Amino acid sequence: MFDQQERDGEDVVERVIHELRRPVYIDRAVDARVMNEIAQPAPAEPVARRSVARVLPWLAAAAVLGAVLIGRPWSPGGNGADAFQFVLVAPQAASVSLVGDFNDWDPSRAPMHAARGGVWATVVSLPPGRYRYAFLVNGVEWRADPSAPLARDDEFGSPSSVVTIGGRDS
Amino acid sequence: MILLALLAVVAQAPTQDPRYQRLDPETRARVVAIVDSARGAGLPSEPIIQRALEGSMKNAAGDRIVAAVRRLAVDLGTARDALGSKATSPELEAGVAALRAGATPATLTRLRDLRKPPVTMALAVLADLVASGVPADSATAALLVLAPTVRDADLVEFRRAVERDIALGAPPASATSVRAAAADLNATGRNAQPGKP
Repeated sequence: MFDQQERDGEDVVERVIHELRRPVYIDRAVDARVMNEIAQPAPAEPVARRSVARVLPWLAAAAVLGAVLIGRPWSPGGNGADAFQFVLVAPQAASVSLVGDFNDWDPSRAPMHAARGGVWATVVSLPPGRYRYAFLVNGVEWRADPSAPLARDDEFGSPSSVVTIGGRDS
Repeated sequence: MILLALLAVVAQAPTQDPRYQRLDPETRARVVAIVDSARGAGLPSEPIIQRALEGSMKNAAGDRIVAAVRRLAVDLGTARDALGSKATSPELEAGVAALRAGATPATLTRLRDLRKPPVTMALAVLADLVASGVPADSATAALLVLAPTVRDADLVEFRRAVERDIALGAPPASATSVRAAAADLNATGRNAQPGKP
């Protein structure tokens, strides 16, 4: 019984192979017709062309604007200032201020904002230079920035850090 | 007449700076005198004012504020003598930091001669390395090697690498020399012209 089924299966396979090997007839005029269609000019599309014509000046303007923006370094503070982020982890703090040479050591000018996990952060625009600064926690406790070099000349009995913004990066 | 009035306003401006109000009257008078003297000598006044404001904000005694301000004015003058009259305020401030870290005025002059201006970052990195525990002579030697070729951003990366190595237990002088050699090698490779052997 199994032999019979096996022979029937072989017959089917052979018929399929035979069919696939049979040459396919192609009209000899097909090539000519295809080439003739390709040679025909495309039908006019006035509406589409008008759309493109309308968009082209905007595309050109966008390209020019993009080139200007990409070619110029981003400088949010102007005068070559770089945006610089200061971060302090102080989970127990109720308030943290950033004070330093860049804000006349005035706590009211750079209050820091708390994020999750007691991470306090603020962003300041700094022109090239070297700045001393410190964090004022809860209005009374001075802390240096643990991620920045310490100012060596601590003349007032509490620590300060320093940050240097370079003016040359060629 | 108008010019005279303008000159009078400009001359009085330092004492009318509202920031001085944060100092007590006696300290204010002494600080203003130092600032005026520094300005007359062609030194930047803003770093001196900021140091006084720092002292005031930290509730330092008046004498202490005056001493810090006077010392800064003297050091700014030393840095200016070493770096030249064209040195900018940030360069002079970084020069003061380097001097206080142990660099000599001659080292400042040498760095200025070796490096295209500004030399702020090179001087600052020297000072910051010493603050991290690197001996002053090691930091100076490294910066003299790197100054001619290495970019500011790479100087910062060099300092961070040394600090990481020190934090991991490396001797500061060794970390500095190894990292300086690597930074110099990278800069030399970057500056080499392609196509030449």
